[in-house]
Amino acid sequence: MATSTNSSNSSQPYKPYRHLKTLTAHNLAVSCVKFSNDGTLLASGSLDKTLIIWSSATLSLLHRLTGHSEGISDIAWSSDSHYVCSASDDRTLRIWDANTGDCVKILRGHTHIVFCVNFNPQSNYIVSGSFDETVRVWEVKTGKCIHVIKAHDMPVTSVHFNRDGSLIVSGSHDGSCKIWDTNAGALLKTLIDDKLPAVSFARFSPNGKFILVATLNNTLKLWNYATGKFLKIYSGHENKVYCVTSTFSVTNGRYIVSGSEDRCVYLWDLQMRNLIQKLEGHTDTVIAVSCHPRENKIASAGLDGDRTVRIWVQDS
Amino acid sequence: MNASIIDPLQGDFPEVIEEYLELEHGIMKCIAFNRRGTLLAANRAAGNLCVENVSLLCMFLALCHGSPSAIDNTDLSHSRFVFGLFGPFTLKSGCNDGSCVIWDFLTRGVAKELRDSECSSPITSICWSKCGNRILVSAADKSLSLWDVLSGKRIRRIVLQQTPLQARLHPGSSKLCLACPLSCTPMIIDLNTEDTTFLKVSVSEKPNGPNPASRNKSSDGSTSFTPTAACFSKYGNLVYVGNSKGEILVIDSKDGEVRGMVPISGGSVVKSIVFSRNGQYLLTNSNDRVIRIYENLLPLKDEVRVLDELNKSFGDLNGVEKLKAIGSRCLTLFREFQDAITKVHWKAPCFSGDGEWVVGGSASKGEHKIYIWDRAGHLVKILEGPKEALIDLAWHPVRPIVVSVSLNGIVFIWAKDYTENWSAFAPDFKELEENEEYVEREDEFDLNPETEKPKGSDVNEDDKVDIMTVEKDPNFSDSDMSQEELCFLPVSPIPDVHEQQDKFLESSSKVVDSNNSGSPFSEEAVTNEHMMNHASSPVEDDAAGTRIKRKRKPSEKVLELQAEKVKKPLKSSKSSRTKTKYLVDENAGNDFYYDELSDE
Repeated sequence: MATSTNSSNSSQPYKPYRHLKTLTAHNLAVSCVKFSNDGTLLASGSLDKTLIIWSSATLSLLHRLTGHSEGISDIAWSSDSHYVCSASDDRTLRIWDANTGDCVKILRGHTHIVFCVNFNPQSNYIVSGSFDETVRVWEVKTGKCIHVIKAHDMPVTSVHFNRDGSLIVSGSHDGSCKIWDTNAGALLKTLIDDKLPAVSFARFSPNGKFILVATLNNTLKLWNYATGKFLKIYSGHENKVYCVTSTFSVTNGRYIVSGSEDRCVYLWDLQMRNLIQKLEGHTDTVIAVSCHPRENKIASAGLDGDRTVRIWVQDS
Repeated sequence: MNASIIDPLQGDFPEVIEEYLELEHGIMKCIAFNRRGTLLAANRAAGNLCVENVSLLCMFLALCHGSPSAIDNTDLSHSRFVFGLFGPFTLKSGCNDGSCVIWDFLTRGVAKELRDSECSSPITSICWSKCGNRILVSAADKSLSLWDVLSGKRIRRIVLQQTPLQARLHPGSSKLCLACPLSCTPMIIDLNTEDTTFLKVSVSEKPNGPNPASRNKSSDGSTSFTPTAACFSKYGNLVYVGNSKGEILVIDSKDGEVRGMVPISGGSVVKSIVFSRNGQYLLTNSNDRVIRIYENLLPLKDEVRVLDELNKSFGDLNGVEKLKAIGSRCLTLFREFQDAITKVHWKAPCFSGDGEWVVGGSASKGEHKIYIWDRAGHLVKILEGPKEALIDLAWHPVRPIVVSVSLNGIVFIWAKDYTENWSAFAPDFKELEENEEYVEREDEFDLNPETEKPKGSDVNEDDKVDIMTVEKDPNFSDSDMSQEELCFLPVSPIPDVHEQQDKFLESSSKVVDSNNSGSPFSEEAVTNEHMMNHASSPVEDDAAGTRIKRKRKPSEKVLELQAEKVKKPLKSSKSSRTKTKYLVDENAGNDFYYDELSDE
């Protein structure tokens, strides 16, 4: 066992992640998995129409949230880890109390599958993206939709708030990635505007200065949105079909973590862009990954041929 | 955060009324932002005032205005000022007094109410602590109350001899406060021990100095019973007092001793005094209808030591002369603002968050005019609101937003008129100030792809990127916060009300699913809803019922009735439209809308 000083020193040899546990409670493809912001809980959503709240320490099932009439595509945690919001093919979003497992609110308005969702850091707004090609901003307290943004020409694949909640980034199958002003609902910048490849995922870096964009040509790019230039390219994984999510791992060194259609989880070094590790074990596309906010722990979710959530840890 | 991609060509002062905030029961009297401009607090007055109460209210206001304005909401000490409201005079339901309302400035909804079961008097001022965890409220029942914002609980309540017209927390600690009472000198109070230091409001000798303008009121000696304006310096080491003789006194906040004095030309009563956020400029509003800006010559942190040195270096002078000499090294007149033609009195003048602009309200009756000057002294904009007198004003700490309060207790939010920025629509669009002739490259439009040079990225992919570090906002660069700052109150979604309604909607949405794809109604639904959302803009609809909001909400019963109504049209197959109607109902609670849409 290395000491904690070793683990924070990036010059130390890389300690590989290892498989810790496989969670098998979903009956269909798992579409999303996310650690809560305080790190105590883990939520997973599935095409089996349910969400499951897990304890991230014991990995035991705490609640199974039922209510959606169709499958779930995405979930998001409020900053205080009290609420979970789920986006479903039933065209609604639901806000759940993660402590009790009760559904406290249903957000209606989208006219097609709701595909992606996120809270702002203040957690008074929710942003959602849908196959109806709109991005909608909702007020958490009242559930009122305050902006309907006709954002794209094809399904919206991801939406994410920046660190202070003033900006929203959206990506779409139409190949564009756009930045919006939260308050006005107005377009501030078009970061990418290509017809192809489709943008399958986009998120801000933890400090809100960069945007990580996945496109369906097996590529992840880190963009400086202020200058409109990309800084880094990460490749090697397989991503041509699904909206596979990726994330920043910051607990021990700096990595980019992504799912892949070759059934692996990929880790790249943020700076060097080289592949560090491939986590093998899932038996279908890894559609989603999430990093624990403080511990060196990764959760990943597999599609229909797999139906599991797998937990990976790095011994420090 | 978004400054880097916002069009720099747009001005940064507000132009139009963007929204207004209104309480269901009661009116707002004065306003202030917290340090980051994320929260806004306000006191509320009861909705059903009886006539006597109204007159009492007016009287009280008048008193307030002759004195430190209840709302100098510039964030002088980084305290967030809140809307100071007058407490409810009568209470409609259970709560029997002036509560304080905190608005979430992002959603423009009520984030919290601080209710006081003991105090039922009008509130005269509110002040945020720098960290945003505490709010100090002064009330007409002579009390000062300190609240914990997060828990909504009152921590301290002390009763003074006199009604405090204004109370401000010390920038460095939320146990010291500066109170300006109705008819005695300003005082510094330790909220824990109730130790009180009275500040001097005049220096004993008459200032008959070289300034011929300082003639009149100083000589009549009737000083101590005039309300006096006062504020802390940036770090709270000094208190600047504007007295009724038209002098600014620089006072050590530790011992209450006058360390310097600056006579204001004209010598008329100082109505309010406030620092810019960065502590470099001091603004006074005098009875002679002139707003004066002084530049602060003292260092921001070590000012007491510098004053000691000045004191020594002027050792050959005595009394008032010495104080004046020191005063001339403390402040120097920078600008004067007035309207030479209309000669209006000013109300609640203050700085913008960055100190670049000065804003003042016209005090003329029945007029809601806000003047904006740049610091160089040019009038850049006059905002004209409804024909209701303006009683308070605040500039958002970081954004080009001004909020003003009308006599009717409505808060208006003034913001920039949004103009579409064409450069936003494509990655390589640029906004030009004027037309430029475009010179094309020789081969630019050739069809031969080989001549198309690969656009070399000038970015070295090996450059290190820092995805974690957040630069400090320059506006808050001075932050030396010992305590964790409270910027946001946790939000709880109001649980959906009717179980039955839920079920019904479930079915409705299924119907929508089944026949919605490609139906023309789906588009219509979006449009309608879109329009609804915008048309009803300042309107809020707490469907499940917070008591306070911007528009009346339907009673539970009405909601039930509406649910009934919605069920019927469901039988028709136009489900998506039904859904729209439901939304309309829910949002506006308005049968009129309902009917209108059905006829479409």
